Amino acid sequence: MGNAIEIEGLAKSYGDKTALRDIGFAVREGSCFGLLGPNGAGKSTTMKILSGLLEPDSGRVRVLGLDLKREHARIREQIGYVPQGIALYEKLSAADNLTFFGEMSGVRGKELKSRIAEVLEQVGLADRAKDQVESFSGGMKRRINIAAALLHRPKLIILDEPTVGIDPQSRNHIFEMIRGMKRDGVTVLYSTHYMEEVEALCDDLAIIDSGRVIAHGGLNEILDRFGTSAVYLELAAGQQPPELPGLGEIRPKDRGWTVETAKPLEVLSAWAEACRRQQLTVKQLEIVRPSLETVFLSLTGTTLRDD
Amino acid sequence: MILSIAIKEWKLILKEKGAFFWLLLMPIGFIVLFGSVFGSIGKTTVTVPYIDLAGTAESQAFIKAVGERGGYKLEPKEAGALDEQITRIRDGKQSVLLVVREGFGRGLSGAPDGKSTVELYSDASSELTGPLNSVLENLANEYREAKIGSALQAAGVAETERSRLMESPLVIEEKPQNATNANAITQVVPGYTVMFVFFVIISMIRRFIGDKTAGITARLQTTRMTPVSYLLGIWLAYLGVAIVQCAALLSFGHFAYGLELGDAVATAVLVLMLAICGTGLGLAICMLVRSENQGMAFTQLLTMGGAVLGGLWFPIEFMPRALQTVARFVPQYWAQKGFQDIMIRGAHLSGIWPSLAALAAFAAAGILVALFRYKGFMKSALSG
Repeated sequence: MGNAIEIEGLAKSYGDKTALRDIGFAVREGSCFGLLGPNGAGKSTTMKILSGLLEPDSGRVRVLGLDLKREHARIREQIGYVPQGIALYEKLSAADNLTFFGEMSGVRGKELKSRIAEVLEQVGLADRAKDQVESFSGGMKRRINIAAALLHRPKLIILDEPTVGIDPQSRNHIFEMIRGMKRDGVTVLYSTHYMEEVEALCDDLAIIDSGRVIAHGGLNEILDRFGTSAVYLELAAGQQPPELPGLGEIRPKDRGWTVETAKPLEVLSAWAEACRRQQLTVKQLEIVRPSLETVFLSLTGTTLRDD
Repeated sequence: MILSIAIKEWKLILKEKGAFFWLLLMPIGFIVLFGSVFGSIGKTTVTVPYIDLAGTAESQAFIKAVGERGGYKLEPKEAGALDEQITRIRDGKQSVLLVVREGFGRGLSGAPDGKSTVELYSDASSELTGPLNSVLENLANEYREAKIGSALQAAGVAETERSRLMESPLVIEEKPQNATNANAITQVVPGYTVMFVFFVIISMIRRFIGDKTAGITARLQTTRMTPVSYLLGIWLAYLGVAIVQCAALLSFGHFAYGLELGDAVATAVLVLMLAICGTGLGLAICMLVRSENQGMAFTQLLTMGGAVLGGLWFPIEFMPRALQTVARFVPQYWAQKGFQDIMIRGAHLSGIWPSLAALAAFAAAGILVALFRYKGFMKSALSG
């Protein structure tokens, strides 16, 4: 399989503010690619360029084998773009919104009707087709927002932070939809600042910060390359963790403590022995797999989210 | 695509009650209100209080004649109420008082020692004083003519000669040139129809700015829709709205007030051109403004300023000469003139071409500005 997206040396500025500098990555056909980064990192700008909404200052972009600059009209026919905000007519029903956006995407007549029924089923809102969008919850609106980009069966779907501020039920629906798209061979470009979403959905990812890609590749590859294993210990209330001289720094985490280390087995053994000697009550002691959170921390020195 | 955008827009308008208020209910309310106020002035009976101090048959005949000539309802007051009535006029509580003095009747038939006096007490600010005074002067002239006729008869002048002598050397012949009489309805119905057509711009601004801020304009740019389809689709939608609005308001005037619409083809073409003009200027405003509030300010200026200058609220002849010249630079003037040419002067299509040409010129200017600014509008929508 080839690449659905190829980006090289992409740069974009707004006046004297640089949004993207020398961005480059590739997205495999049929994969789900995560674009991970904090707010203002350049994710939306990248997605708007790929959707043809913004023109880059420089760089080469190929989407579905077509040159973005020269063959934009043909690209538009094959992509579905889901903006970060709810871009729907609140006064119209879900079905009327989908009819309108479907027609704008070139789907008409019986095919459009059947596609509307299909995508409403897909987003779990078939029974609310005739209701005005303004009567929907935030999560339901987000689902219709996505559905409006699927009607013309795009080969590439670009989702710009589609789960911001929604309920768990809607989030699960969206996750299932994305997994369904992947099963159907659709390439998904997914931007988010939620690391757990990338871990749950994406095959590959690029970590973007201050307009630069600071790491990209397969999820496991990035975790192996940049992530550090850790050992987590949780004791009974009021007990303190034994010191581990020369094995690493102990940091509080959740209801226990953690030690980031390249030798997790050694730390685990030392901590287990110390707890046994001091007769401490161990509630949890385990090796923790490297996470994107630790990757991001190690690469940028900051956490991804403030919350 | 253009039709799909227009259909979506019509669905949205049908869901928005505010649009019905602005575009239909409010103008109908204005037509009813001002049509009733100005249309019933000639039909209203004005009451004139009087005190008959003479109490003679002649004084009663005189009072009856005042009522009949002026269409007034005469209301008798007691002789003792004279001071109180005058105080009421001074306090602004009453407009006029007619007092027929003692001895009225003497001398009316030509007696040399007789003099009949009628006093008209009035509030200087009252609109009633002038017409009532004219009625009284006309009656005084008739008494004078009767007195001269009696004197001529007494001098032995024959009846035919008396008639010839009493004839006025000035002959006034009324020759109306209009198909229909101009009245309050021929002013108010087309006036408010023209005025409120321009209110469609408010809905257009809400759509363009609303779509832009909601990210819909940007989203649509990722579909197969071409930018010009978006502009034309929304324009087509509101063009239809303006035509339906005009048809509804003119029909209301016709069925509720008996307004003569004149040549149907000329009226239809004028309505179409007015709708193109109003929505064309609307497109220009939508592309020029950066926010809904700014758009509202522009629209108020165009609708209200144009309504006053264009003679939509009152006949243009009431305005100073300089403003009548300025009025030619607002589209409302030409639309109102076109409607009144058709309705009052019985004009056909060939007779309203100046109005059609002027409206087409305003429309073309608006559309050109919109097209010139459209790229900037789209750019701002995409960068948001």
